[in-house]
Amino acid sequence: MLKKMKINNILSLIILIFASFMVLFPVAWMLSTSLKTMQEMFVTPPRWIPQEITFRAFARIWTDYPFVRFFYNSILIVSTTTIVSLFFSSLAGYGASRFNFKGKSSFLVFLLVTQMFPSVMLLIPFYRVLNILGLINTHLGLIIVYMAFTTPLCSWMMYGYFESIPKELDDAASIDGCSKFRTYWQIVLPLSLPGLAATGIYAFIMSWNEYLFALVLTTDDSMKTVPVGIGSLVGQYRTAWNDLMAVSLVASIPMLIAFFFLSKKLIGGLTGGAVKQ
Amino acid sequence: MKSLFSLKTEHKYGYIFILPVAAVLGILIIYPLLYGFYISFFQTNLINRWNFVELENYINIFSGNSEFVNSIFVSIKFTSVVVLSHLVLGLLLAVILNKKNLPFKELFRSILMIPWFFPEVVVALLWRWIFNSMYGVFNYLLMNLNIIEDKITWLSSMRGAFFVVVFTAVWKGYPLILVMILAGLQSIPEELYEVAKIDGANSFQTFFYITLPNLRSVLLVSLILDTVWWFKNFPIVWLMTRGGPVNATNVVSIDIYQTAFQSFNFGKASASAVIVFFICLGIAMIYKSMITEEEM
Repeated sequence: MLKKMKINNILSLIILIFASFMVLFPVAWMLSTSLKTMQEMFVTPPRWIPQEITFRAFARIWTDYPFVRFFYNSILIVSTTTIVSLFFSSLAGYGASRFNFKGKSSFLVFLLVTQMFPSVMLLIPFYRVLNILGLINTHLGLIIVYMAFTTPLCSWMMYGYFESIPKELDDAASIDGCSKFRTYWQIVLPLSLPGLAATGIYAFIMSWNEYLFALVLTTDDSMKTVPVGIGSLVGQYRTAWNDLMAVSLVASIPMLIAFFFLSKKLIGGLTGGAVKQ
Repeated sequence: MKSLFSLKTEHKYGYIFILPVAAVLGILIIYPLLYGFYISFFQTNLINRWNFVELENYINIFSGNSEFVNSIFVSIKFTSVVVLSHLVLGLLLAVILNKKNLPFKELFRSILMIPWFFPEVVVALLWRWIFNSMYGVFNYLLMNLNIIEDKITWLSSMRGAFFVVVFTAVWKGYPLILVMILAGLQSIPEELYEVAKIDGANSFQTFFYITLPNLRSVLLVSLILDTVWWFKNFPIVWLMTRGGPVNATNVVSIDIYQTAFQSFNFGKASASAVIVFFICLGIAMIYKSMITEEEM
């Protein structure tokens, strides 16, 4: 019995090690490429550890390409989206969790149903409407679009989180003469920081990664976001893969930070609504 | 009388709190959806030419040697292979990671989550570089392992390109399914397994009679999200192959994008998007009926 369990465990470990290798070797290759010179990049057979390690690619992305501007655009758009989306969705989550109103269950279901709409269907209408409003090539235009993508699921996540905070707290506050909005803002919201963090990270990741809408809704080079900027580096002829991998690594840093600090909470927040406890 | 009054104020507060999100849903989702539906009945460049053509766009996208119909088939093929692989991988890894007394469990779990945290654009270009036929490290790895003798031109052959985009999508997308299943596994009561053990069930029986049935709702929710997500996915395929070679990877979102923003045939593209909408709705409803059959 013990022996059988051991073999089973060894087999499991082999699978995990192989899977981890499949995850890590591309990442290692990305790092290796970003540290290579142009010549060494096209050496056959390829070398895992470059003979001449150089950090020039990490400097070039700021000097030879407009990535300062792209990062500025992305950070501005994504942080505004995240903050506004968090505020709206925490309001909605609180409202749906604390009050009964007609149409509440259809509202909650609709939040989830929006996840099933193909986003391409919104692409042409958004393009047209933003054109009319003069919002093509503006930060505001993309912020509005990303609000549409993030608020539904964020509201659902916040709803799930508020449900886990005892409602007696609100009753106590209300007896003490606290208004509904103050109860939400000063009592329940501060207790919801973990939920807010997980939801905020979700909104951040969604909008930081978005490619198609940013591609279509920004035609001016100075208004591109980081994903669109990276995508435009790959050409038909020779691609500077070392620069491309360097900027890819930098663009992934916010995500990796989110990952190391909050992956557990994020996962809990995402799955909270889906899993019956 | 008093209870009626308090009920009303409760309604009122509910509406006040959900108002901003309700406005977002109405203005930024429902209205554009309806507007897209409206555009699909026109032949238009969205600026000055708006010819009402009734159902002509819908007839066009289905007639003759239709690229749209072809792209639907490519998308279905792509999505089913990707989602099935996610499911198998996610289940396998989640069951392993859910074991007790496995060393370095937390470390493996963290490593296996990594692909989820890389932006899709980065993932697409990274694998495009790895699968590069001349300088890519993948050919080199396979040659070292004596699996292949000559370099494979992955992205310029039809089957190779399809394999590569599927592989990349599987790599990028399995972690979400993995965490959903893992969370589902952890919510299965321990007693069930103990009872099975007492009854002398082996691990296969335990898996098929206890684990799988208890994961049903989690699996279905993950399946819906994953299917719809990959059915409409754009960046990975676009940045790796642009839909080529010879339409081998021309998924439906690429077809719509090109029809709209390269041929400027917005009406036809909108009609295609409407069809995709109904396909996604259909997929969701099929899954939904599977859930309600059992749970309700």
